[in-house]
Amino acid sequence: MSLLRLAWRNVLRQRRRTALLSLVVVYVTVAVLFMFGFLDGYGESLVEAYAQYVEAPVVVAREAWWEDPDPENGFPSLPPLAHPLVQAATPRLSLYALFRSPYRMQGGVVLGVDPEGEKALSRVPSKVGEGRWLQGPGEVVLGYRLAERLDVRVGERLVVETGKEALGLQVVGLVRAGVGNVDFGGVYVHLEDARRLAGGGVGATHLALRVPRGREEGVAKALNQVLPEGFRAKGVWELMGPIRADYEGSRLFYVPLLGLFMLLAAVAVVSTTYVSVRERLREFAVAESLGLSPARLAGQVALEAALASGLGLLAGLLLGYALLGYTSTHDVFGPLMRLSVELLPEAGLSEHLYTSIRPVYALYASLLVGLSALLALLFPGRLVLRLDPSRYVKGE
Amino acid sequence: MGRMAFALLVFAALALAQSPSEKLKLALDRLRGPAHQGVYELRVERPSSVRTYRLRVYTDGHRAHLRVLEPRSEAGQAFLSLGEDLYLYDPRLGRTLRLPPTGRGERFLGSDLTYQDLMGRDLEALFQVAEVQGVLVLTPRPGAPTPYGKVEVYLREGLVERILYHDQRNQAVRELKLSAYQRLDGAYLPREMELRDLQNPGYRSLLRVLEVQVGPVPERCFNPLYLERGC
Repeated sequence: MSLLRLAWRNVLRQRRRTALLSLVVVYVTVAVLFMFGFLDGYGESLVEAYAQYVEAPVVVAREAWWEDPDPENGFPSLPPLAHPLVQAATPRLSLYALFRSPYRMQGGVVLGVDPEGEKALSRVPSKVGEGRWLQGPGEVVLGYRLAERLDVRVGERLVVETGKEALGLQVVGLVRAGVGNVDFGGVYVHLEDARRLAGGGVGATHLALRVPRGREEGVAKALNQVLPEGFRAKGVWELMGPIRADYEGSRLFYVPLLGLFMLLAAVAVVSTTYVSVRERLREFAVAESLGLSPARLAGQVALEAALASGLGLLAGLLLGYALLGYTSTHDVFGPLMRLSVELLPEAGLSEHLYTSIRPVYALYASLLVGLSALLALLFPGRLVLRLDPSRYVKGE
Repeated sequence: MGRMAFALLVFAALALAQSPSEKLKLALDRLRGPAHQGVYELRVERPSSVRTYRLRVYTDGHRAHLRVLEPRSEAGQAFLSLGEDLYLYDPRLGRTLRLPPTGRGERFLGSDLTYQDLMGRDLEALFQVAEVQGVLVLTPRPGAPTPYGKVEVYLREGLVERILYHDQRNQAVRELKLSAYQRLDGAYLPREMELRDLQNPGYRSLLRVLEVQVGPVPERCFNPLYLERGC
């Protein structure tokens, strides 16, 4: 305890140096907190977009359909599902089609849905910004950006053609979901129309399930144990496609980068401590001659480094969590995300991104304090351990 | 006697009176001409360029085999329209492809004409017909796969003279003009066809019949196997 008090007094003795040293730690702590908060927030935004808008929390389909998403690989009747966490289930039929207005033609994916079933599962029906959601066959709901591209409006007819059938459907609603895939490519038709467009014989291509958030992978795994042969369930992470690789790649890139930041900050702390120790070698020699063991003195040096960086950590945590608190409730990254959605409309990005706040970030950031203390023990501490007290006491 | 003649005249007029649908059907029947072989010229005009194609055409009035003769860079491409089925041979690929029904709405050789314009009978199949002041006004049947809101067909002596396509906001977007009809072997054939994209000024396609030889066309011309080697 007396060693701690001594170390604390030494830290306060050189306030300007301590302040500069702490600043480095503050900067890195804020960076660590913010980056983890941002990455987790980005991941959650992707999961939210895919689970609630683009796909579903869990999707069940035939293995053949997962390999080749052709309606022919769909199923005529729905497979039995037994899992207590499945809160809702609705069939969907997806197929590639050509959309034709009097002015433009564009290819894309049509999603045949049960209008009522979809309401229980997806947020898309609640995001119809103009007109209304589907009520019956003969209607189509489009993402508003796709409608702009095709130049069709609510009340007008859009031709949907596949290799087997063509239908003139009335546009009854435009969706403004704020999710790229939906706004730029969403085409929702009644399941019956989708069946006609697919050429008949296919009931649905997949089954979308709603399960509690965070349980998607577990439910998919459990369902795979009980589903009939040839069927497979996938959780939302598996449904995310290439953007998942992008997200995981970002984590792989940023986590070592933050590690490097922390190491450099620890080196900055230790180099300052090193200079401080060198200046105080006579003081250490006196202390050693008065009976303090070299190991305790090295410990004191490490403690000083830990205390100085701890002060920075504390300030950094306050500042970092305040920043995360603000960005988790305010859509600060909205303009950036809107630009990303514009550039990558089919990536499943959301126009809104809120950072995540988790207590564990403090633990990650506090590794810096440990690292500083360890390095202080290894380098300036070694100076103290090798100290020849008689030489310094004599004033040589 | 006079009364009887008048009544006969009225009966004859009633018998001859055609419904708008019948008028349209008859006009479309007359549009394709008799079975013939010929050479057509297709001129595709754009604001900054003009491209001219020469095509060898074989048709029996219902089916058509078209082969590009010029320009040399695109010579050898061939198209076969058999009702709903459409085949395309591309010498660069060396393969014959069957286009899905959606392909019928695509542009023919990058022009403003679609395969449907050349051979289809969409006007009959997709629209309900009414007559307003001598003009056939076509409106889409419920669920009909047409992006147009209204089509006006102008007839002259029972022959299609002009077709005006409107969008769903009642704005004209495409205009097809047919002219220089010739009576060949009891049928009619328009020698000139002009299609203008009214949305894009300067976008125009002209199809002219240069040579025509009326007579039966060998059946093999309508076999996809002969698209590659010619018939």
